[in-house]
Amino acid sequence: MKLPSWSGLLPFLLFALAFLVLPAGNLLIGAFLDKGGGFTLDNFAHLARPGIVKSYVTTLQISAFSAAGGVVFGFLLAYAVTLGGLPKGLKSFLLTFSGVASNFAGVPLAFTFIATLGRVGLVTTVLSTVFGIDLYDAGFNLYSFWGLSLTYLYFQIPLMVLLITPALEAMKPSWREAAESLGAGSLTYWRRVGLPVLVPALLASFIMLFGNAFGAYATAYAMTGGLLNLVPILIGAQIRGDVLHDPNLGYALALGMVFLMTLSIFAYLALQKQTSRWLT
Amino acid sequence: MTGTSRWRALKHALVLALGGVFFFLPLVATFLFSLRGKKDTLGFSAYEHVFADPQFYATFAFSFEMALATVVLGLVLLVPTVLWIHLRAPRLRALVEGFALLPFVVPPIVLVFGLIKLYSRPPFDLVTTPLLLVAGYIVIAFPYLFRSLDAGMRALDLKSLTEAAQSLGAGTVTTLFRVILPNLRTSLLGAAFLTFAIVLGELTLAVLLAWPAFGPYMALVGRDLAYEPAALAVVSFALTWLFIGLLQLITRTKGR
Amino acid sequence: MAYLTLTNITKTFGTARAVERFDLEVERGEFISLLGGSGCGKTTTLRMIAGFETPTSGTIHIGGTEVEHLPPRKRNVGFVFQNYALFPNLTVAGNVAFGLVVARQKKDLRSARVTELLELIHMTELADRYPHQLSGGQQQRVALARALAPEPKLLLLDEPLSALDAKNRQRLRQEIRDIQQKLGITTLYVTHDQEEALAISDRVVVMDKGRIEQVGTPQEIYQRPASAFTSGFIGTLNRLAGVWELPAQGVVRVGSLHLRTLPQADATAGAPVALGIRPEALVWNGHSANSLPGVIVSSVFLGPTTRHTLQVDGQRLLFDRPNQAGRPTPAVGDEILLTLDPADLLVL
Repeated sequence: MKLPSWSGLLPFLLFALAFLVLPAGNLLIGAFLDKGGGFTLDNFAHLARPGIVKSYVTTLQISAFSAAGGVVFGFLLAYAVTLGGLPKGLKSFLLTFSGVASNFAGVPLAFTFIATLGRVGLVTTVLSTVFGIDLYDAGFNLYSFWGLSLTYLYFQIPLMVLLITPALEAMKPSWREAAESLGAGSLTYWRRVGLPVLVPALLASFIMLFGNAFGAYATAYAMTGGLLNLVPILIGAQIRGDVLHDPNLGYALALGMVFLMTLSIFAYLALQKQTSRWLT
Repeated sequence: MTGTSRWRALKHALVLALGGVFFFLPLVATFLFSLRGKKDTLGFSAYEHVFADPQFYATFAFSFEMALATVVLGLVLLVPTVLWIHLRAPRLRALVEGFALLPFVVPPIVLVFGLIKLYSRPPFDLVTTPLLLVAGYIVIAFPYLFRSLDAGMRALDLKSLTEAAQSLGAGTVTTLFRVILPNLRTSLLGAAFLTFAIVLGELTLAVLLAWPAFGPYMALVGRDLAYEPAALAVVSFALTWLFIGLLQLITRTKGR
Repeated sequence: MAYLTLTNITKTFGTARAVERFDLEVERGEFISLLGGSGCGKTTTLRMIAGFETPTSGTIHIGGTEVEHLPPRKRNVGFVFQNYALFPNLTVAGNVAFGLVVARQKKDLRSARVTELLELIHMTELADRYPHQLSGGQQQRVALARALAPEPKLLLLDEPLSALDAKNRQRLRQEIRDIQQKLGITTLYVTHDQEEALAISDRVVVMDKGRIEQVGTPQEIYQRPASAFTSGFIGTLNRLAGVWELPAQGVVRVGSLHLRTLPQADATAGAPVALGIRPEALVWNGHSANSLPGVIVSSVFLGPTTRHTLQVDGQRLLFDRPNQAGRPTPAVGDEILLTLDPADLLVL
């Protein structure tokens, strides 16, 4: 007797249903319910409260900024070790390091940056005692937008390195040679071939990095103790003590997040498909 | 090497050097910072405090257990699943892949919110058991586990391997344990180590489900003390590198 | 001076010598193949002409201009790669137009030229396709058109057909030859496939270990191999060790047999001589001064021919015979008499 083809997937599907689909779906339904359990769209209207809008804006800004920075610097690093004519050992070192650092988000990362650039951090202290530059007088604050973005770069750049290296490795040296033999200089090659070919991969990586920062809770929590007004922090506070005095609004908050992440993952998949066509 | 290519290599070396400063300066600074536990002297007193705290061991042991449980149960759940889509149901691959990618769309903070809402009251009052925590960790690990196992199996040409084993008289169990799993060692280990490292220092799920885990412990130390957190960061970074180092060592031995 | 001249070219990578003291003169409009096994330096030579590699020493002239210090983009040389190397973000037309766009050619001139080239490669209808939508053979035709578009002084092809299947390979190689003759463009063609080289070239350059073994027309290369390497690399050859008896009349002794080859005045009687016979040069029951009696040891049916292995005077010889339906064929164990024209007994 032959088992039907879906039967072997049953344990996995049931597990995913119980611990991923149902909990997320429950939030989804909850977002459309009022306190008494009736259908309402008010929760989404309440998302328009100034405090909540601001938290979304701040989260979007940090995510976009740290993703953009991660894309640019991660690309430069990956390019340097793949196509830059540097010793091969550097590449495997950078990839291994990136594997570690891209998962170095969370509490230890926050501590690392506090020890480095916090009010009494080592770099802050050295700058003020040796060079007479007071970072905090100059407007820098680790526990603010810029500080958190800088901290996020510590895992965003390595993630970019991991995401873009395969695409860079798939760029054929013969493309460049073909362009050269047809009269193109380095700039023309990058403008007409190199960059256009990489654009889908770059955009896809940006989206991945964006989502990565958007959902990040641990780093921000450990760093600011929940003071910075970010969506994940707000959801966390909602879970801990119901600060909004309205659980259904919390669901809408989470739903807004899932909605944005879903949008990005679809854009990511579409771009990934384009990349796989060009870069194989 | 011509002049231009030497200039190019120099430019890239410069980029790399800048990257090196950004990535290593915080580590060095943290290490030096952690040595200042006693006023005006450099020493390991912050580490002494950390290692003298019974909470350190208790929370670390708890997270260690959770990580172990996550790795074992996660592999038990996913290895047969990925094998199945490779050997029996390649058409259902998109379905499994979709579920395995879903945690990217549902970040941990949203996941834990959903879990608490669904499982904090009868008939499914699971928040008081660590099982819910492990289940959440397995979900978070889905993408890593799936990708690593999928890539490993794709590289193997499982179908011919199984057919060869079976034509030589091996049964399903023999084929699985003596042919397939040994050949998947590298990708199994890769997935296991990564999952383990992530769970060990995880904060979001542990703190919101209120478990005395290593992540929340570290956050607590960070709130109350100055130099000990830096020492903890150094310890945790060293631990991660130890895992990666072990992994590389094992995979390299296999390569021979 | 010839159109393309390579003089005393040497290329070393670290301590490895890829190409050594390479001299070649190519006339305008010629089709030259560089033939050799992998690592013989043929591709490196081609890449030095294109400018992708710089020779360690020696000079390269194209149309009277010394080029070895010019970057590739200033050489005006068309290059076709083994892996096609089409730009994946551009259509067929966009790829073909690339060199013209870079040269800032006017738009109407450009599109006329692109149309002309697409007609040449019979791909007018596929102008708007992207490379990933084309078969390997189609991609390589586009790569050819792209290389030809800016009217290069030279066309260089680096194993352009080796990624294609046998049928496509044969068709496309004839197409390349036809286009080359139609345009009269000077062409260098790198290949490891001897049949390909013999089929399309005006002259073949046989290379081994970075050096030229022989340069000659396909007929010369096949029928008068100048070295043991060439004779072994091209086609199948029976090798025999003999001694000159009467060089002036071309008589040699091989074992107990006396055979005739072409007279060779400068050889001395009694000197050893290496001889070669192509399997297809032997004839069963023919009429010739040379006859070799032998016993058939084995026969392999190959379709158009049958390859027999014979025991002749203590040596093994291969003998190819065309198959014709209804014609008697010798069987294993038969004693047969083979004959050989003196011109087909090669002195190596």
